[in-house]
Amino acid sequence: MDILKILETKLQGKPVEIVPDYLGTAAIKAKEGSYRDVFKALMDADEKTGVTSITGIDLGAALGVFYHVRTSNAFITIQVEVPKENPKLVTVTDITPSAAFHELEVTDLIGVTFEGNPLEGHFVLPDTWPDGVYPLRKDVNPNEVKLNPSPPEEKFEQGKQVKIIIGPQHPALLEPEKFAVFVDGETVKAVQPRIGYVHRGVEKISEFRTYIQDVYLVERICGICNSCHACAFVESVEKILKTEVPPRGKYLRTIILELNRLHSHLLTLGHAGLEIGYETLFHYFWRDREPIMDITEILTGNRVVSSAMTVGGVRRDLKETDVPKIKSTLADLRKRLPFYTKVYREEPSIGLRMKNIGTLKREDALKLGVVGPVARGSGVDIDVRKDAPYEAYGEIPFKLITYKEGDTWARMNVRMDEVEESIKIIEYALDHLPTGPFRVKVPRVVPPGEVVNRVEAPRGELFYYVKSNGTAMPERVKVRTPTFANIPAFLTTAVGEPLADVPPNFVSLDPCFSCTDR
Amino acid sequence: MTNLAMWSRLKSPWVIHFNSGACNGCDIEIVALLTPKYDVERFGIKLEPSPRHADVLLVTGSVTKQCAERLKRIYDQMPQPKFVVAIGACACSGGVFQGSYSVLSGVDKILPVNAYIPGCPPRPEAIIDGVVKLLNALAAPPAPKAAEEPQKEEAASEAAKEETVEAAPKLTTEVKPNAKQ
Repeated sequence: MDILKILETKLQGKPVEIVPDYLGTAAIKAKEGSYRDVFKALMDADEKTGVTSITGIDLGAALGVFYHVRTSNAFITIQVEVPKENPKLVTVTDITPSAAFHELEVTDLIGVTFEGNPLEGHFVLPDTWPDGVYPLRKDVNPNEVKLNPSPPEEKFEQGKQVKIIIGPQHPALLEPEKFAVFVDGETVKAVQPRIGYVHRGVEKISEFRTYIQDVYLVERICGICNSCHACAFVESVEKILKTEVPPRGKYLRTIILELNRLHSHLLTLGHAGLEIGYETLFHYFWRDREPIMDITEILTGNRVVSSAMTVGGVRRDLKETDVPKIKSTLADLRKRLPFYTKVYREEPSIGLRMKNIGTLKREDALKLGVVGPVARGSGVDIDVRKDAPYEAYGEIPFKLITYKEGDTWARMNVRMDEVEESIKIIEYALDHLPTGPFRVKVPRVVPPGEVVNRVEAPRGELFYYVKSNGTAMPERVKVRTPTFANIPAFLTTAVGEPLADVPPNFVSLDPCFSCTDR
Repeated sequence: MTNLAMWSRLKSPWVIHFNSGACNGCDIEIVALLTPKYDVERFGIKLEPSPRHADVLLVTGSVTKQCAERLKRIYDQMPQPKFVVAIGACACSGGVFQGSYSVLSGVDKILPVNAYIPGCPPRPEAIIDGVVKLLNALAAPPAPKAAEEPQKEEAASEAAKEETVEAAPKLTTEVKPNAKQ
């Protein structure tokens, strides 16, 4: 925590209170607009500073705005309070551009406006949502909100640039999401995103469900990385409860999380093949993904949404008789990997459609605060599994994969190499599986407290903030998913390139909008 | 001519997939259907990107308020006769998202649904079973009235559309879930 010492000296005399070991990490309480000074000090002290998320929370008398900031060796929350009447703050996007999307989301859901934010409009709520109603405030009953009868008409300006709308229903996107691409001839001039088509209001419904029900709710934020969501949530609750999961539970969780990563990466690697017109590769990858689904079923009881995690451990134990089957399946997959790696490294058509496309330089990646394989493909070595080990990752040896190129090709190759690392992790965990109980009993009522938690999902850092008020239901659950942090990278890298390069570039982010919108 | 149309519809239904606010769980199972292990293309089932060429609309997800209008628009663009299959607990009834402020809970709030396939997510085998049941139901009675006059129906009003739906066989693999809203 040496960064806190640096901050202490830099921020002397400012109305700032530094609280170490709060929220499971560290927190800085900033008063009277000094949060901008904290950001400036952080940016000077550490190049890896990036806004992970901004939580807007209704504190009763006032609204809280919590900036969750990632640095290279610490995780810091900057807490600011604003009055409920006319809540206004000054943007920090001029200091760190990574905050732009998060600020817009807070404006949409809780009503704090940020002066100077370059973006505007509804971001996650429906177009027909009335002005001045903010669903995450406690005094608003969202079910009584009357929607506007019709959405405002879209302005369309005829000019030199042509607007091409991709979505909400589009064969290249499995999910409904709209991107307006402005092109001049073949060249992309700008991209305008409109997310929120899959917004299901998970953060609000979670306040009306018990903690155990919430595990199944957050799991259904995303069907692909469901175990990561469940794991991040139950870990947060365990941190508030101060419960220690038995070692066998930790190892089983690690195996489930890595199986999740395996199937997610194989899915994306295949999908990228489909987008560049290489359908054979798509079918190959999806064929080899099926055995992974089968062993997930052996281990957890379901193919996709596994429901394996629970507060205090995992729900099912692994039978000794199933271990050989899992190992032989992984060995089969490992035999095929050299072929796929060769295809991704050497196949000329992959090179033509992926190399030097959507290049994101290292400094841009740091500035935009991207996470996961996108950051690692640009040479930024961040991975929550290494930076803040959770579950059994601290005990299992594995490599952190980075590539320097920063293009679509590099991002896909990061995933290709991570598949092999995942297999190694699972094999190591199976060989060193501790004996003993796999879960502990926990009380249903959680004591008051708040905590932040991070997990490395297949797409990158997944962030949870959970606040408990001492009842059986949480007070606030905030979810920031990796794709939310990675979309700005696409908006930057697509500009100046031909329209035909948009699909491979886009897929290289491994976008998951059901996560993004919640 | 009618027989030929019926024969082609049964032997090769073209499906379109729309995610109306799903978590991707059902969607990846639908894509898994088309890939080598399950490979429904051998039964003639083809995934079609354009609604104007599709016979069957596969809907996943709990229908968010932002998506509802788009879902309706896609349904309207499909030629008659058309069938809707709700895949997954969310599409059937809203699933875990029932009661949220931004979802409508269930495809049947907007569109007439011909078959419900429950599950979270349903296994690919269950989806195949649901689609086969839909096709069997189509084959059993004489062709629905709508099938004979597709041109007229297209221009018809809302009321006529509902009539079409009643003519189409209704079957459920699940009892219709209770709607809270």
